[in-house]
Amino acid sequence: MVDMPAQNPQRIVLPPHRERARRPRIVRFREWARRNLFNSRAGTLLTIITAAILALLIYGVVYFVFVDANWRVITENRWLLFAGGYPMDQEWRLWFSVMFVFLLIGLTYGTWASLGRRDHLFIVLASGFAVLLLAHGGAAIWSTIWYLIAVGLLYAGYAITIRMPREAGPGRTVQQRSVAGLLIAALPIVLIVLLAFGGARPRELEGFVLNLVLAPVGIAGGLILAIPLALGRASRMRAISWTCTTYIEVVRGAPLLGWLFVALFILDDVIGGELIVRAMVVLAVFTAAYMAEYIRGALQALPHGQSEAAHAVGLNQFQSMQLIVMPQALRISIPPMVGQAISIWKDTTLVTVILPLRELKGNADSAIAQFEFTPDRIEAYVFVAVIFWVVAFIMSRISQRVEGSLGIGER
Amino acid sequence: MKKLRFGLLAAAVVAIVALVAVACGDDDGDGGGEGRGDTVQTIKDRGELKCGVKQTQPLFGFREADGTVVGFDIEFCKALAAAVLKDHTKVEYIDASDASTRFELLAEEEIDVLIRTTTITASRDRELAVDFAQTTFYTGQGFAVRTDSGIDSTSDMGDAIICVQTGTTTEQNVADHFTDIGLEYDPQGGLSQDVADAFFSGRCDVLTADASDLASRIAVRDDAADYKILPQIISKEPLAPGVRDYDSEWKDVVNWVVHGLIRAEEIGITQANVAQMAANPPNTEVARLLGVPFQGGEVAALGFDSVDPQFIQRAIAAVGNYGEIYDRTIGDNIPRACTLNDLVINNSGCPDGQGGIQYALPYR
Amino acid sequence: MAVATGSAPPPPSEVPLLYRRGVRRLLTQGIYVAITAVVIGYVYTSLDLREFGFGFLNEPAAFKVGNQWLVDVDGVTNSRITMYLVGVWSSLRAVLVAIALSTVIGVLVGVARLSSNWLVAQMAMLYVEIFRNTPLLVQVVLVYTILLIGAPLIENVVNVGDFFFISNRGMAMPWPVPDEGFWNAPIWFVGVWVAALIAMAVVAGRVRAQRQERERETGQPQYGNRWALGVFALGAVVSFFALGAPVSMDEPMIVGTHYIEGMVMEPEFTALVAGLTLYTSAFIAEIVRGGIQALPRGQTEAANAVGLSGYQRLTLVILPQALRQIIPSVTNQYLNINKNSSLAYAVLYDDLFRVANIVQNKAGHALEMFFVIIVTYMLISFAISVVMNFFNARVTAQRI
Repeated sequence: MVDMPAQNPQRIVLPPHRERARRPRIVRFREWARRNLFNSRAGTLLTIITAAILALLIYGVVYFVFVDANWRVITENRWLLFAGGYPMDQEWRLWFSVMFVFLLIGLTYGTWASLGRRDHLFIVLASGFAVLLLAHGGAAIWSTIWYLIAVGLLYAGYAITIRMPREAGPGRTVQQRSVAGLLIAALPIVLIVLLAFGGARPRELEGFVLNLVLAPVGIAGGLILAIPLALGRASRMRAISWTCTTYIEVVRGAPLLGWLFVALFILDDVIGGELIVRAMVVLAVFTAAYMAEYIRGALQALPHGQSEAAHAVGLNQFQSMQLIVMPQALRISIPPMVGQAISIWKDTTLVTVILPLRELKGNADSAIAQFEFTPDRIEAYVFVAVIFWVVAFIMSRISQRVEGSLGIGER
Repeated sequence: MKKLRFGLLAAAVVAIVALVAVACGDDDGDGGGEGRGDTVQTIKDRGELKCGVKQTQPLFGFREADGTVVGFDIEFCKALAAAVLKDHTKVEYIDASDASTRFELLAEEEIDVLIRTTTITASRDRELAVDFAQTTFYTGQGFAVRTDSGIDSTSDMGDAIICVQTGTTTEQNVADHFTDIGLEYDPQGGLSQDVADAFFSGRCDVLTADASDLASRIAVRDDAADYKILPQIISKEPLAPGVRDYDSEWKDVVNWVVHGLIRAEEIGITQANVAQMAANPPNTEVARLLGVPFQGGEVAALGFDSVDPQFIQRAIAAVGNYGEIYDRTIGDNIPRACTLNDLVINNSGCPDGQGGIQYALPYR
Repeated sequence: MAVATGSAPPPPSEVPLLYRRGVRRLLTQGIYVAITAVVIGYVYTSLDLREFGFGFLNEPAAFKVGNQWLVDVDGVTNSRITMYLVGVWSSLRAVLVAIALSTVIGVLVGVARLSSNWLVAQMAMLYVEIFRNTPLLVQVVLVYTILLIGAPLIENVVNVGDFFFISNRGMAMPWPVPDEGFWNAPIWFVGVWVAALIAMAVVAGRVRAQRQERERETGQPQYGNRWALGVFALGAVVSFFALGAPVSMDEPMIVGTHYIEGMVMEPEFTALVAGLTLYTSAFIAEIVRGGIQALPRGQTEAANAVGLSGYQRLTLVILPQALRQIIPSVTNQYLNINKNSSLAYAVLYDDLFRVANIVQNKAGHALEMFFVIIVTYMLISFAISVVMNFFNARVTAQRI
């Protein structure tokens, strides 16, 4: 009866963006460039200036990396930089941990997100970088093989979990539960592998390994301490809220370098023990103060109706806290928490400034104290910066993907 | 109502955390401050010597690519471990590169002994919780300048920028010296590695440090000819191992290991012949030094309360005598003959006014 | 307080004593205080407080402090506390410069992130990603190393018209200093001119307010800002010469191998400030971008509709509104700059942390020095917070 669709059967009208897509690629590119690069005279000028600066930068970087720099300071000191004093005959423990963590990353991605084209590109680039570093010199061929196996495990874990059915909705699948459990257990497992049953003593954790151990311990310990602190600060009981507030403000008032000074000079008399353990305590206590503030902010941001509703359905205070309020508050606070985690990751370099602990930057200092490498200071520090950047980038990338799939920040 | 429970929860968790902290503290609450004279026992119980060393000074204490720490100071750590623990590999090298925290490391029992080119001074002995054992290396504070700088002595350094290591006797010496000669200068302080880098980059006109330190840093450079060390020496810098105050037993052991290594050189015991000497000592003194019986007789038990009489023998077997240590680690870059670190008994051939002062006290 | 509960609470007399809210609270807090007291007591007893006291700060310092600016304090005769204050002054100098620079660069990069120009936006993103994700310590040390190795030696100094000198001993530039002027006035006479400048600024502020008032009444543009600037500039120049030019520019010179006169920015200072600026500006850029993106799109469209240019849209419509959200976060970044300035330790810049460490190395007393450090950082943080809260109050009070 309605004959409108039949009016013009020869011509199919596409939506505008599909219409554009039919044009040749070069035309589309030209349109894109006109819109995004040369949209006005000032815009064109800006583009040209920026392009010139970019070209200069690229030239400078390429010249430095391929012509000017002597990367032997890195390749020769590979072991010193990454493991330092870790017993060499226990190298398999390091590789085991790397493989375990890579597998976990694969499992996490497969369970809560998916690898995009950029992720694949990043993995390939990072692996190329790693192989370039590891494969230098014949004796290191096994390291390269171990690394490639680790990357293989990452993809294997991903391939297994990505195929499993995902449930829409709030319920957690068995798979999600077990991967989450593994994630929580990961830190103790890695520490046991590195240290227990004839492994290294805590003091022998050095170089990059030390950074990789300190940061998660600081983050995990900080999170555990932060929750009671945030609740304490929000408490209506004066004595509790007052002490928690004082604690948070005092810790946030002084630089981490100052607190590490405490670990060395003052905490020794109070808790004793290995210096590295005291450094971990200080990192956790320091992180906790910042994280507590994020959680408190999230608690305040939660609508009051949430706890009222929990009360209305008959949950008691503890249940309401555990099942309704805290999960939501933690979820809201994930983005700033990740920021704090990355911040702690970068701050692990500070242990070398004031404590006699040698992490990656400290061992880079040792490397350039060797006779033949004294002129190669810039190379050593650039390398350290790149390594830190890669890990921080991975952290932020994973959190972005997981946040995206958890729907954080959406309402 | 809600807030009340929050508070309860928080209080409970805080309480648990506090209790755990207190409990942990009780386990190893060893207090701090002054040592109680039981360092040797502590080392034995631990099975390992904690040696505070530099990790960034060429020749004296630095790290190889495989992560091992090597250098002149390191040999003494090994000797001590061999003496006390009978195994020279049982050393934990703790980074004491930062001069401004090194004495705290000792005071807080992070390390048992500090062997990192540390000068004996009265004020350190008096104010800090440190005692010094026998000097391992004699040097003095010198100045390095660029060859083309036209500086020949400190009197040419008016208003110069001087790179000096922070928190060291060097810093104080240079301040005193310039006050004495009535000149101004501009300090540029930092860690020893950093100030050396700054000097070689041209940040400052003069680098001042122990003459041995200067020599070691310049000797290893490709452009060594561009730098010179002034003959002027403005201070005495006897570098010695440091131990905690009020621990005479441990100080004795450190002291006599160093003396023993020097004595071994004086009487010709080397790493190569020590085993044979111990099996068949030529005289009573060698027997006593190595802690073995002489011609079947009883040995005069000269071990200390906490170590057995063979401790010096083990030290020599591990690292050789003083001269061997010197030649192996720094001899190529810092000549020894007729300098302060030569043996007194070798002084006969030296020019007037020169000669060594290394002299072992009698071991009997 | 009335807690909204489903059922009416029973009268107090029926509730057992232990279940009464007041009693419970008191009990909880009592237990809490007791435990806290035990912990504090334990810490107190385990610390070695036999020699606790601050007397050592009054003894002669016997060390020199470098990087002094506008002051020249001799460490040989002055006390340790004086040298510490010199360190505080050095810290403040670095922190203030870093705050100013990182704000400017941060806002520029943040705006560039949202540029319609693809290349500019990508460059800004690159900047943020690089500097936000690498440790500040490494940035500072790297900049310092590059300055030392890359900048020319003092012998090959780059001389820009005898006004600027650049070498790896720092950058020297002209700097105003008090002078005798035409009338051979004493040095303090420059204070009169500064007072005159302040008076001029007040007058200029009044002029601007009046002009803006008239603009609002008549609807005619009255150019309040230009008037105020003109009045101030004219007043400054006239009073300068009227008072006999009590300030002169101090031009740097090179004597032998070092700079004299002028202001010298040592590589240590430059490295610290550059590191702090690069790092913090990346964070500020993200804050600015977030603040702008949080505004409703309608604001941009409305600004376009009334015919504002891109620059006007940004400065008159977008940024003033975004400031409300930006200022609290940026304040946090300023506090971070203050705390992160302790990294001066790694580049040989004698800031408060470094001087405190030297004192501690000479005299022991770690606990006391630590108290002094913490209190100083907190005081500086407090000052920054007070100033920023004042700004924040101004911004949020203004109706837009």
